[in-house]
Formats: sequence, structure tokens, C-alpha cells
Amino acid sequence: MDTSNTPPATATPPVEDDRVWKAGRLEPMPIRKLPDAPPSVHILGPTVFLVALGVGMGESYMWPRLVLLFGPEIRWLFLIGVTLQAVVMLEMARYAMATGESIFSGAARVFKPLMWFFFIVAIAVYIWPGHLSAGAAAFEEITGIPWVVTAVAGLILVGVVFTLAKVIYNLLENVLSLLIGALVLGTAVVAAMVGSWSDVGTTITGMFSIGYLPSEAMSAAWFPVIVGACAFAGPSGMQQMWYTLHLRDSGAGMGAHIPKVRGLRHAGEEEEMPNRGFMFDTDDPAEMAKWKGWRRWVTFDALLLFWGVTMLVTISFTVIAQSAVRINPGVRDVIRGDDREVALTAMADAVSAAGSSVLGVVFLGFIALIGLNATLGLFDSFSRGQADMTFNFVPGAKKLGMSKLYGIFLWGVILFGIGILLFGPADGPSAILDTLAFLSTFAMGAYCVTLLLVNNRMLPKPIRPKWWSNAIIGFGAVFYLGMLLYSLFAFGVVVG
Amino acid sequence: MIRRHSIELALPGASIGAVAGAMAGGLTLFAGQPTGLAALSALALAAPLAFFGGLYGVLLGHGVFRPGTFGPVGLYWMAAFPVSRLLQESVAGVGMADGVPLFLAFQAMVSLGFAIGFVWMHERLMPHWLVRRAGDNPLAKDLLSQYVRYASLVRARKGARR
Repeated sequence: MDTSNTPPATATPPVEDDRVWKAGRLEPMPIRKLPDAPPSVHILGPTVFLVALGVGMGESYMWPRLVLLFGPEIRWLFLIGVTLQAVVMLEMARYAMATGESIFSGAARVFKPLMWFFFIVAIAVYIWPGHLSAGAAAFEEITGIPWVVTAVAGLILVGVVFTLAKVIYNLLENVLSLLIGALVLGTAVVAAMVGSWSDVGTTITGMFSIGYLPSEAMSAAWFPVIVGACAFAGPSGMQQMWYTLHLRDSGAGMGAHIPKVRGLRHAGEEEEMPNRGFMFDTDDPAEMAKWKGWRRWVTFDALLLFWGVTMLVTISFTVIAQSAVRINPGVRDVIRGDDREVALTAMADAVSAAGSSVLGVVFLGFIALIGLNATLGLFDSFSRGQADMTFNFVPGAKKLGMSKLYGIFLWGVILFGIGILLFGPADGPSAILDTLAFLSTFAMGAYCVTLLLVNNRMLPKPIRPKWWSNAIIGFGAVFYLGMLLYSLFAFGVVVG
Repeated sequence: MIRRHSIELALPGASIGAVAGAMAGGLTLFAGQPTGLAALSALALAAPLAFFGGLYGVLLGHGVFRPGTFGPVGLYWMAAFPVSRLLQESVAGVGMADGVPLFLAFQAMVSLGFAIGFVWMHERLMPHWLVRRAGDNPLAKDLLSQYVRYASLVRARKGARR
């Protein structure tokens, strides 16, 4: 380890020592004790947040839509996407748990402009109210209320909720998590009643039809949509990067040494966030044993909760879509038409035909719910991430304080979203969603590269990733960026 | 007395199972089946799911399961969910297209999804119920202390992050 070994001069707390770990050109990280890993693998880890976001539009809307169009064989891309995301999650957690820093700080240690790149990409990708508008369109199907009205009301609701006291937020968080639970339970019961083994058979074999791409999919109209859908398999865009903020804030690994982030809306209480994280003594076998415990904890989260939940929910939704198309083959033709806005209605109608009319409403209700839920999570995370980068790396921003920065970004993104919905060039929900999905792919390719740099250069040797993990992340960079560039050069289409 | 203490622990799980089962009734009703059959279908799924959901709570109270761990619960529902569905199909079903073994295999697969939803809901409802019952139910008190121990561990590190 690159440490200057100065034993503590006094007999005061022996855990404090003066050694540091130098990573990049920023302030070195002091060596501190790694806390013990949680006693049991518990489901209520920070991954729940990622699962809630991950089981979103991709699983319930984009992939069933692609399956209805191209058949279940297209899902091999989904398998690759979700598996990649599970490994990305483990690697994001590696840096966050070892240092207590966000991946943005890690990127700044490698090369500051890299962090600013993500700052800008986050704005470019997440100012579009994509998630909410699709959910609102589903809501329109149920209630007849125009989707723009619902979307604007939803945006204002999000802003008000995050601006008010945290009691309200906690209440909402509880309500939302109950709704997510109901969503999973309901999906399982519905799939159990309308599906059959043969549906699962094709869905699963479809996941291993590696290389399958129908000629239609390789068109300027659909390839960018498929690229976007791959990015939406599991947590999309920068959600994985924000996951490091949630890990830090929940005190995972060395995050325990980072001073508590006080209520973001309590403007009076200013933050005392340091510019740097911490490192533990990787030469100490006892510390390394604890590190292994933390890795086990996060691996459990990644594999079972994240990979398992995402897979199961999407298999269930695909089974529903499969039985829908079996009952009404006309659905495929409707979606193939020029007007892609009818996709949502067609899918709901098909689902209705498969089970009952109430099932169609339930399906649309799920979509609306997922839209609102994802928007809540996304806007909160976006504002946290941007506030974090601004706070740490913009001179003078500390004077404003974290809560005010958070508020500025939150209301900025909300007001822009309302403006876009009312006057913007976006002509319908799906158009916004596809733009967002496509841009996210770029961010995802870029964070794979960042992860490789940060984990292999900024961490002490004993806790660097294994070669196979690097290989998978490297493949991820090629996968996301390759598809993006292919789409650009083969079809001349940047945005679907 | 001990029996009553155990049964009290069953309430959250039983409620979750019953509500999930009742969804089936709604589906059958709107699929054009007569109301009587729909009610029967709902009952035939809600009853076994409520039973197994409640049993989970009781077993949790007796230390067979640990709070919040998924693996054992997944296995538990992998057995319990197909049995419940088989019961429902035999009482109020429309026939199994694939035959019983494939039917059970499919249900076992879906059951994992059900198990995730179940644990998720149970972990959110159970502590609230335990807080209410801890006063005069020693089993509830023990179980609650497990939740509190874990929660304080998390809370201590988490602080007021929002």
C-alpha cells in the first residue's frame, strides 16, 4: 500500500492513525477501520431502492412490446443486459464500500473532466420527463384524463413531496413500497392464472437464442429502440452511479465514516461533508475478512434481489404478453403500424383478452404506478447526484449548502419537464421515452469505462476486481457503445 | 395461551395471502364466470395462501425462519404456492392444459416471484403488528427485538439521511 507509516503519537483512540491512501490527485484518504458487515443477509438493504427503480418501464413496457413484435427469442439481449447490470452493481459497490465515496468522486480522482462529463450527461438524459409521460399515458387509458395534465400534475407532486418535511416523504416511501409489493404479488398471481408451462418454455429458451435478430429489427426504425431497450434492462442510465450515493448514505462499508447527510430540505443545518472518503488497511488480514463479509452481503443483494427479482418480474410480464398474443394475434400487426402510441393500448387490450377486462386495467394501472414511482426515485437521485458533484467540485458551492443545491436541481428539472410537456418538441410519450433510453446507453458505456479506471487504479491492489470481472465490465463498454455506434453508422439514426 | 400467541403472529402473513388470493376472484368474475364460481375460485386460492402465509409468521416466531432472509422463504413458497394453486384448480378450475406435472412446475416457477412479493410485504407489515402486540405476547416481543436490533444497526449508520 502507498502509505506513510506514522504511528499515532498519543494513546488516544487507537483506531485513528495518520496513514493515508493516495488515490489520484485529489486529497488522500485517511486509513480507518472497516466496520463489521451486517450480521445476516437482510432483504432491506439499499438494493431495494435499485430494484424498485429497475423493475420499471423496461420490464413492464418496452420488453413485452419487443416480445410481441419479434417473439420471445429477442430476449437473449435482455439476459445479457440484466446480467451485465448485476456485475456493474457489484463493481459500483466495490468502490463505494471501500472508500465511502460516490463513483463521481472516483471519476474525479481519475480525471476531473470525466466527472464533469457525467454531470453534463445526467442533465442531457434526465431532464426529459420520459418515465412519467408513459405512465401518464397509461393513466389516460384508464381515466380519460389527458396525459399532459397528469404528467404535469405528477411533476409538481414530485417537487412538493421532496420539498416538504421528511415525514411526508417517509409516508410516501412506505406507500410506494407497499404498492411495489402488491405489484410483484399481483403479477405473480396473474401470471400463475393466465400462463402455462409452454409460455415459460419459450420465454426461457428465448433468453438463450443468442444472436437472434430478425431482419425487421435491423432497421432504422427499430434498431435504436432495441438499443434503448437493452439499456432499460434493469437499472438504466445513471441509476447505478446514484446507487453508490445510496450505499454511502446507508453506511455500507467505509460509508460508515462519512458524516451523516442531514435532511436535504433542512436548509438551516449545513453539511460538513469532507472532500474525500476513507480507506481501510488492506494489509491487515482481519480487515480483509470484514471486507469479504461486505462483498458477500452485496453479492447476495446483486444476485438474488436484483438479478432474481428483475428476471422473475420480466418473465411474468412476458408470459402475460405471450398469452395475449396467442389469444389475439392481431396485436402484433397493430404495434407494427406507424403509430407506436397505440402499442400501450394494444398491449392492454391483449392482456384484457387473455384474462379479463379488469386485467387490462390492472396492467395499465401497473404501468402508471411504475411511471410515477420511477419518476420519484429518478428525480430524487438525479438531484442528489448533481448536488453532490456541485457541492464537492464547484468552488463556493459549499456556501449554498447541500439542501439548497438539491432543491435547485430538483425544481430545475421539474420546471424544464413541465415546459417540455407543454411546449416542447416532444409529440408523445413514446418519443420522449425512446430518446431518453437511447441517450442512457451512452452514459452506460461511459460508466463501464470509468469503473475499469477507478477500480483498477484508485483502489489498493488486494481489493481490486478480478480479471473476469474486468472482462465483463469491458464487454459491457463494448456492448453499450458498440450498439450505439452501430446504430449511428449503419442507420444514421442517433435517437430512435 | 401459547397457542394464541403463535396465532397472533400469523395475522400479517395470512392477510397478505388472503388478499393475493382474492385477486384471483376478481379475475374469474370478470372473465365472464358466474359470481358463485368466482367467489369459490377466490376462496379456494385465498384460503390456502392465507394458511401458508400465516404458518410462515408462526414459524418465524419460533425461529425456523430468520426475519428478512429470502432463500428459505423462496423454498417454502416453492412448495406451498403450487399446492395452493392445485387446490384451487381442483375445486374451481377450468382444467390444466399441460397436465399436472407441468402445471406444478410452472406454478413452482411463478412461486418465486410470489415469494419475493410476500417477503417484501411481510417485512413491511410485520414490525408494525409486532409493536402493537409486544406488550402482552412474549413471542411477538422476542421477534420484535430481532427487528429492532437490525433496525438500530442500520439506523446508527444511516442517520437522518433525508
